[in-house]
Amino acid sequence: MDMANQARIKETAEKYGRENVVVIIGGAEAEAAGLTAETVIAGDPTYAGPLTNIALDLSIYHILELKELIDPQVYEDQISMMEMVLEVDEIIAEMNNIRDELRQEA
Amino acid sequence: MAAVRAVHYLNQFFGQIGGEDKADITPFQKDGPVGPGTALQKAFGDEIEIVGTVICGDTYFNENIETATTEIMELIAGYQPQMLIAGPAFNAGRYGVACGAVCAAAAEKFAIPVITGMYEENPGADLYRKQAYIVRTGDSAAKMRTAIPAMSKLALKIARGEELGTPADEGYLEQGLRFNTMHHTERGSSRAVAMLLKKLKGEPYQSEYPMPSFSRVTPRPAIKDLKNAKIALVTSGGIVPKGNPDRIEASSASHFGRYDITGIEDLTEDTFETAHGGYDPVYANLDADRVLPIDVLRQMEKEGVIGSLHNVYYATVGNGTSVANAQKYAHAIGLELSEENIDGIILTST
Repeated sequence: MDMANQARIKETAEKYGRENVVVIIGGAEAEAAGLTAETVIAGDPTYAGPLTNIALDLSIYHILELKELIDPQVYEDQISMMEMVLEVDEIIAEMNNIRDELRQEA
Repeated sequence: MAAVRAVHYLNQFFGQIGGEDKADITPFQKDGPVGPGTALQKAFGDEIEIVGTVICGDTYFNENIETATTEIMELIAGYQPQMLIAGPAFNAGRYGVACGAVCAAAAEKFAIPVITGMYEENPGADLYRKQAYIVRTGDSAAKMRTAIPAMSKLALKIARGEELGTPADEGYLEQGLRFNTMHHTERGSSRAVAMLLKKLKGEPYQSEYPMPSFSRVTPRPAIKDLKNAKIALVTSGGIVPKGNPDRIEASSASHFGRYDITGIEDLTEDTFETAHGGYDPVYANLDADRVLPIDVLRQMEKEGVIGSLHNVYYATVGNGTSVANAQKYAHAIGLELSEENIDGIILTST
């Protein structure tokens, strides 16, 4: 995750309390999505950004995981196209892996 | 036992300063570990202590290699280190060159072990693999998770004074060193036959005598219009005017020569010879066209197969000449030919 986004998430979590923040991402690849999830849960795995060694343990979901919570028409307009071209199962599996492995609070 | 004192080198990005916009920052130091250094420190426990981190922008380093290296060495010296660790740089080219150069300079100046980590194709890997332990890593920072344990394992082994195994066992890039080892179980001939059988069956096998790996050159696209093309000749076969006016060495040539062939239709025994010391020169001396086919190219020029033959040819001796020197000569020759509107070059060897 780039430095500006790490800084923004760190600031948001500090301002509102980490239990009040949910991160929703739209990464197009499982590995990238997993790295983003790892960053906001356990800290920046590349040790380069503001979240280095900072484990915010935030809730994080990929937008494709939240289909049922979204107005079907909005989902249809905004996301369904990408849903067709992305490796949905792979992305969701990676998100689950990272959460199972790293999250302190279930 | 007191912890081994280590200094860690990082670029501006991993040094938590910023991205490309901060790449021109000059070297500075920070006590203790920073960024990836904190992960290394965790793995080192109390056996190695990262006493300081030196950070420098990649652009500044690569544009001022000599000054930057001197400045960085001064900062490193202040920590009186017993080990230097740099990177990992993954496949970041300028960072890889910086890590390698800092390692090489520190090894020479302080006579301490130096360790870095890179993706094998990082340009820094080929430049500095002989001077540093370059641990093999993935190609991006996403592979930090595997790079840190690999680098710390090697660093700890060195800190403990343990004997290192082969590069393949220890996970670093080959340094071109050879050691004699004893095989007590099987003699050479049977090992060779076993290897050959595996090769014939298409099974994996490991050579006991790996050859250096050379980079490959991608061929240029084909010349579409040969009839109008200007062709130049370059040879490593040592063909020179009789008497070898530039004194090109018979082996390990230290330079190349350029020779005007305006009006020359054919190389004869009286006018040209070979300076090459690596093959039987009799047939080349009798007729140097056998190595540098000027006679045939002149004929093709007349027949209109090619547009024209460039009136200067270049020659050196390939015998024992190092790859680095050969690349240097090729670069210089290429630059000269690029100013002559050459469409194609024919390279002949022996």
